[in-house]
Amino acid sequence: MKNDEKNKSKYSVSKLSLHSLQQQMMNYLTDDKSAVAQHVVEHGGISREARLHIYKNAYQMRFKETIDNDHQILGMYLGDDLFDQMVSGYIKAYPSNNTSLRNFADSLPTFLANQIPFKDYPLISELAHFERLLMVAFDAKDANHFTREHLLEMPHKHWPSLVFRFHPSVQIAMFNFNSVETWQALKQEQAPEPAKQAANIWLLWRNNDRLTQFRSLSQQEHHLMTMMLNGHDFASLCDNLLSQSPNEDISQLALNYLLSWIDDGILASH
Amino acid sequence: MANNQPIDNMTGERSLSLSNVPVPEHFLGFGLGLRTEHFQDVLNDKINIDWFEVVSENFMVDGGKPKHYLHSIRELYPMVMHGVSLSIGSTDPLNFDYLRKLKVLTNELQPEWISDHLCWTGAHEKNSHDLLPLPYNDEALNHVCQRVEQVQEFLGRPILLENVSSYLSYKNSTMTEWQFFNEVARRSGCEILLDINNIYVSARNHDFNPQDYLNGIAKDKVKQFHLAGHSDYGDYVIDTHDHPVADPVWQLYEKALQRFGWISTMIERDDNIPPLVELLAEVDTARNIATKTLGSLG
Ligand SMILES: [Fe+2]
Repeated sequence: MKNDEKNKSKYSVSKLSLHSLQQQMMNYLTDDKSAVAQHVVEHGGISREARLHIYKNAYQMRFKETIDNDHQILGMYLGDDLFDQMVSGYIKAYPSNNTSLRNFADSLPTFLANQIPFKDYPLISELAHFERLLMVAFDAKDANHFTREHLLEMPHKHWPSLVFRFHPSVQIAMFNFNSVETWQALKQEQAPEPAKQAANIWLLWRNNDRLTQFRSLSQQEHHLMTMMLNGHDFASLCDNLLSQSPNEDISQLALNYLLSWIDDGILASH
Repeated sequence: MANNQPIDNMTGERSLSLSNVPVPEHFLGFGLGLRTEHFQDVLNDKINIDWFEVVSENFMVDGGKPKHYLHSIRELYPMVMHGVSLSIGSTDPLNFDYLRKLKVLTNELQPEWISDHLCWTGAHEKNSHDLLPLPYNDEALNHVCQRVEQVQEFLGRPILLENVSSYLSYKNSTMTEWQFFNEVARRSGCEILLDINNIYVSARNHDFNPQDYLNGIAKDKVKQFHLAGHSDYGDYVIDTHDHPVADPVWQLYEKALQRFGWISTMIERDDNIPPLVELLAEVDTARNIATKTLGSLG
């Protein structure tokens, strides 16, 4: 009771609304505006500025750690100084509006593609994009994988009309630089090759053991996958292969593609 | 599901209890915050743990390995869900998109209960992802109570609110945190998750007596205790969850047991995460203090 009396005397009567107080506190955290300080109780060994600074520091560290966790290889590529510059710029430009920190850095590739100095090195944005796709594949929706057993259970005469569905984790991404190779080199703690421009396509997915995997796609395989995404059946895929390479054994080529997709865990069962 | 010991049908209390303090039906025992680092060990090893708490937001994803582990562990242990994004004190509208996700996860996991914090986390569509303190006055009280009622109606169940650690207080507060907290619980019908470490941390930062806090909370409202580590900087203390529980917090836990009796207790560790055995040893310490204070559970 005595303590309550003591506390009461510290508080001057203030009619500041909850709404205004929260607005001022957010302005302090996001934009350094210090108006909120006048509403904070001055008490004990630490100043109200120091008290506020505990929150400010936590605000910045929390987002920095989130980006650091999501983008470890990008961090290695940039080095500490550029990484810190990216983090502080991104926190200001894209304050979180989501309930999950999982989505906080979703706009990082866009930020890097449009901000000096990062935009002058497009590989940087591509690295960030690749790392976000790995995250998408990691916790995408579950589905049963389509297996060789599923295929063998089907009467042969139904194969031509089969329409395959991708596992929900499957991502197809196009890059203009050697970004994925750079990522791989850094992951293995090797020096990456210099940036060079060359169009390339990658497939990312979560395999049968729930591990995230990726590999490059040829033009031909990418074309087949695009057809599958558009709902074309297996016979159409074979026809397409035939029109491209009329002298090859198309049924064997098509079957090889199909079996590799099944074994990789790219297809979902119906 | 929660109670694996026989219950006396007449009293709702455990018949095996040797304790002279009655054991409430909702008592889950001694638990731990589930962390990804320990998934494999929890599934593989025979461990002395009664229940787990999971952070709701970590599993608001569509699928993947962590969620797969979560469901496997749920088959073995009772669980409670603990959220950090409800922002019950914010002047932004309630986030029903978030509440829908929370409800979906609740249906999936069938937790014993769900909790969040007595705080606000953001405003004007910006989220600080921090547990920011409220001013303790009538305006905030009315605001929070009305929102708790809306949330409980939407979820179809009462929620628990937890006291946060704080580093500042506002001039427009007109009551103590415990008066405010107790009044929220009384008026809205929510229940209380008392974080013993947070009481200690805030008591140091605002120079109040932590026993006054305990005494100010109604005995029948408390359903869960949190215990965690902090960082002590002398002039102030920060709730870092990266150390073992400190001695003064264990002492305060004993006081809390004396007032509230058998309350489901767990260790929260979020950073600098040690091997599972080290945290299990801390859970054992909590169990031993409770037994010493309240008698044997039998
Ligand atoms: Fe807590």
